[in-house]
Order: sequence, then C-alpha cells, then structure tokens
Amino acid sequence: MLTLAAGTVSSWAAAPAGPQPSPLPAEHLTIATVGPKSPHWVYVVDYAYANEIDSRVYLFDGDTYRRIGQIDTGFIPGVNLSPDGKTTAVATTYFARGGHGTRTDVVEFNDNNTLAKTGEIVIPPKHAQTLAMLFTVAYSSDGKFVYTPYLTPAASFGVLDPARKKVLSEIDTAGCTLVFPWGPNRVSSICESGRLLTVTLDAQGKEASRTSSEPFFNPDQDPVFAQAVPLPDGYAYVSFLGQVHEIDFTQPKLVMRTPWSLVSATEKGTWRPGGVQIGAVHRSLGKLFVPMHRGGDGSHKAGGTEIWVFDLKSHQRTARWPIDTKELGSVIAVQVSQDAAPLLFAATETANVLVLDAQTGKMQHVEKKLGQTPQLLLNP
Amino acid sequence: MKPDRIFEKAARSLAKRTSRRSLLASLGQLLTGAALLPLLPIDRTARAQSPSSPVAKPTADEQNCEYWKYCAIDGFLCACCGGTSTSCPPGTQSSPITWIGTCHNPGDGRDYIVSYNDCCGKVSCGDCFCDRNEGEKPMYRLSRNNDVNWCMANTESNYHCSVSVILGVAQK
Repeated sequence: MLTLAAGTVSSWAAAPAGPQPSPLPAEHLTIATVGPKSPHWVYVVDYAYANEIDSRVYLFDGDTYRRIGQIDTGFIPGVNLSPDGKTTAVATTYFARGGHGTRTDVVEFNDNNTLAKTGEIVIPPKHAQTLAMLFTVAYSSDGKFVYTPYLTPAASFGVLDPARKKVLSEIDTAGCTLVFPWGPNRVSSICESGRLLTVTLDAQGKEASRTSSEPFFNPDQDPVFAQAVPLPDGYAYVSFLGQVHEIDFTQPKLVMRTPWSLVSATEKGTWRPGGVQIGAVHRSLGKLFVPMHRGGDGSHKAGGTEIWVFDLKSHQRTARWPIDTKELGSVIAVQVSQDAAPLLFAATETANVLVLDAQTGKMQHVEKKLGQTPQLLLNP
Repeated sequence: MKPDRIFEKAARSLAKRTSRRSLLASLGQLLTGAALLPLLPIDRTARAQSPSSPVAKPTADEQNCEYWKYCAIDGFLCACCGGTSTSCPPGTQSSPITWIGTCHNPGDGRDYIVSYNDCCGKVSCGDCFCDRNEGEKPMYRLSRNNDVNWCMANTESNYHCSVSVILGVAQK
C-alpha cells in the first residue's frame, strides 16, 4: 500500500502543465469536539429495527442541521439524560457473540461533552426491553439515583448509584411497570388497575414506604398511553381517545386533576393521538404538542397527520399544523426545546426528523433519513 | 418448563371459553393460590420445540401484513424469514411466553384467539415488518402488549421475528 500510494502522489504531481499552485499543506488528524451546548440540540434515539443489536443515539443540531455525533446504545435500550444534562444514561443489553451468547445488561454512562462512554453498572440481565420509552431508565431529580425497570415478565425496578457505580436495591412492583421519577427519592409505576404505585426510597436506595393511587383510567374502556408527557409539576397521561389525565406529583399524595379532552365531542373517536412519543410540553409557554390522526380502535400507534397545539391553562387548542405525510411520513414522536425561541422536533414513520418553529409551526428543515427508525427525542 | 407443559392443555381449553385476561388470572390463581399476583406466563409452544417435518412453504397470505391472523402482531413476519405463520425459522427458538390477540377470520366469520410468539436467538430478520394493534394494550397490560421483547425469558433472548398461532375459537 505504501509503494502504491507513493507512486500515485508522484504521477499526480507530474500531470498538470503551466504554473503550479502551491501544494496543499499537510493535514493533521484530530478528534472533533462537541462544542458549546445549545438548547436546540436534540438526542434522537434510533432503535434500528432491522438490526436491533445496533441501536444508537444521534446528537443533532436544530440550528445548523448538523449531526454532531453518536452514542452507541446496544439492544432495545432505555435512554435518558441526567438532570444537569451532562450525562446520557443507557440501560441496555449486549450479547457475548454479537447476536447471541451470554446476555449482559448494563446501565452505561456517556459524557455529553465528549460523547465518550465514562462508566457502567452491570445490572441483573432483565432490564425491561421495550421500544422508545422515556421511562425505561430515569434519574432522580438530584441525580443521585438511577432507576431502571426490570421485566422477566415479573415486574420490578432497580435502584442504582451512578456516582459509586453500584446497584443499591431491587424493588418489586406487584405487576406495575416502568419508572416515573419524581423528586430525589420517589418512583411511580403504572398498573393494570388504572392506578399508580409510588415507592419512596430511603437514603440507601431501599424502599421506605409505598402507596397506591386511586384509579384514574379504565384500561378496558379508554387506556392511557404508558408514554406519559412530563409536566413542570408531574406527568400527563393521555388516553387513546384523547383524554388528558394530568397528575400533580409535587404533593405527598398524587393529585389527579380533572381530566380534559384534546378533542371536541364531534371529533371524539375520529381524531386521536397516536404514535410513540405522543406529546411534548414547553414548560414556560405552557404549550402541549400532540401528533393527531384520524383513525379507529387499534390505531393508537398510527402517526400524526397533523400536530395539534394546546394551551395547558385554558385547555384550548391554539393551532393545527398539517404535515405533508406523503412526502415526509406521519409524525410518531415529538419534542420541543425549552428556550424562548423554541423548536419543535418531529420524527416520522419514514425516519425523517422535522424541525419546526414551535410558535408558528413553520417548517424550518427536514432532515431526511436520520437513521433507520428514530422514535424517541430527548432534550439537552 | 414442566409445569408450563402440564398447563398448556388447560390453557388452550380455557382460552376457548374465556377472555385472555381472565384466563391468565385464573391460571395464576390455580398455580399459586393467590388472587392478586401479576399475570403469569404460559408455555404454549411445547409442541413447537421439536418439529417432526420440514417447514412448509408459507402461503402468500402468511407473508402479507393484512392477513387476518396478524391483527395484533408487531414485528417481522417469520413467514418472510424462513418460517411460516406458525413456525419459527430454522435455528431459532420459540418464546415460551407470548402476547395474545383476538382476530376475526372473514373466511368463516369467527373470532379466534391468537397467540403471537416471538422467535429468538438471531438478530432481527429485517423483512416484512408488520405493526397491527387491534386490541393491543400498553405495557401495564402485558399479556396484550406487543412492544416488549417476548424473547426476554429465552436463554438466547435476541428477537428475530414473530408468528401467529391459533389457540381456538373465541366464545362470545
């Protein structure tokens, strides 16, 4: 190879006639850095359906439309960001021989300044493998605990110490599933009975107490998406038919607010929320963004042909933004930046990531084919 | 595995007479004597472990996402991956635990209870992706959920593709 390369350089050098431009300077190989953080960055989780052992996260800049870098995330991962935004936690599985062999489950930590892996905690080989959830790995509000749900299919969750890289405990959840974190030491899981089970931890990450809420939805008549939408003071659980169940997590006991509807009486059953990441909230503007489609029972995973915008105080719809679904695909995931000039990010069923002005709905950019099956969008 | 095999027959019989949810709840109580335990997994694939004949060629229907038996499937159709709608591709293992759908067969006008098993131990097939969700429920109702990796309890727990196996007629 060396001889061939030298000969090639020599023949190129002899080819041009006339005045010779100055030769190019020698180049230096470097490693690119991530650069200053922007509120317009988005972490795009690509579950890579066609080769699921190779899922990954792309860090994408909504201003420059540039892919900044990548974090590898293994097989059907849970992905989340630390409260300070400095770390990406990944709960995932690796097989010893690529697609087969001994299963090892880990929670990996990646430095968001370098996108390099900085550490891991090996966990029992039973992390809940389900697609595109905000609640398959999560931090406590002070960043001192990390929670990851287990499924064997018996349900429980692990409490981890990210500083000392240790598993602290496993807490049985009596069939309730996923981890909805609140405050420094509370974890809720959602139950088939329509309730939330809330476990409070002691300083060692062990269970101190548990309570069960009143039922707030009926899984037979109108189930809620398990993919809750984070609110400034809790979570909103949106039902298949468009009821919004806002729950205040700030009180000692969960407070269920009066449910409200995304749809009018005439739209009910026709227009529905759907997709994977079915809502996003801009906290200071008090706006909720939901991908909506026309469909019947069983269409809850259909992407939105429009994005509807709601005022969280008045519960009024303030905008409908149609999507050119023939060209772009329907919207299966939404996320909004939290700054004063917010961007709305939308992933489509055909793997495009759309960047819209979150105040006007104006399409700013279409990033074509950002990975294979991008289905979860996280904010820095 | 033995208790699962013993209960397979009971499961099929019960499935013909009752809803999926009450079926599992009943079996859970039967096995444990407790009324409030989580839904239990059931092995419905004991007979699929040792095929006695070569895999049949899949029909065109079986490779079509619109096929009635696929009304709540989510994944790659095994019929496009070397198997059929009821057989896993060579060299894979079937998942002993499953999710369930109730699908209407327009051919005879009956509703059937269908078990969707995942086939495991190789990387994703990647062909004939099919995502249908009639009666599908979120993860808190696990027995009706098609998002989780149902290979989770297999020795080789990688997901390859999904099949759809009739358990019996749903009694109204």
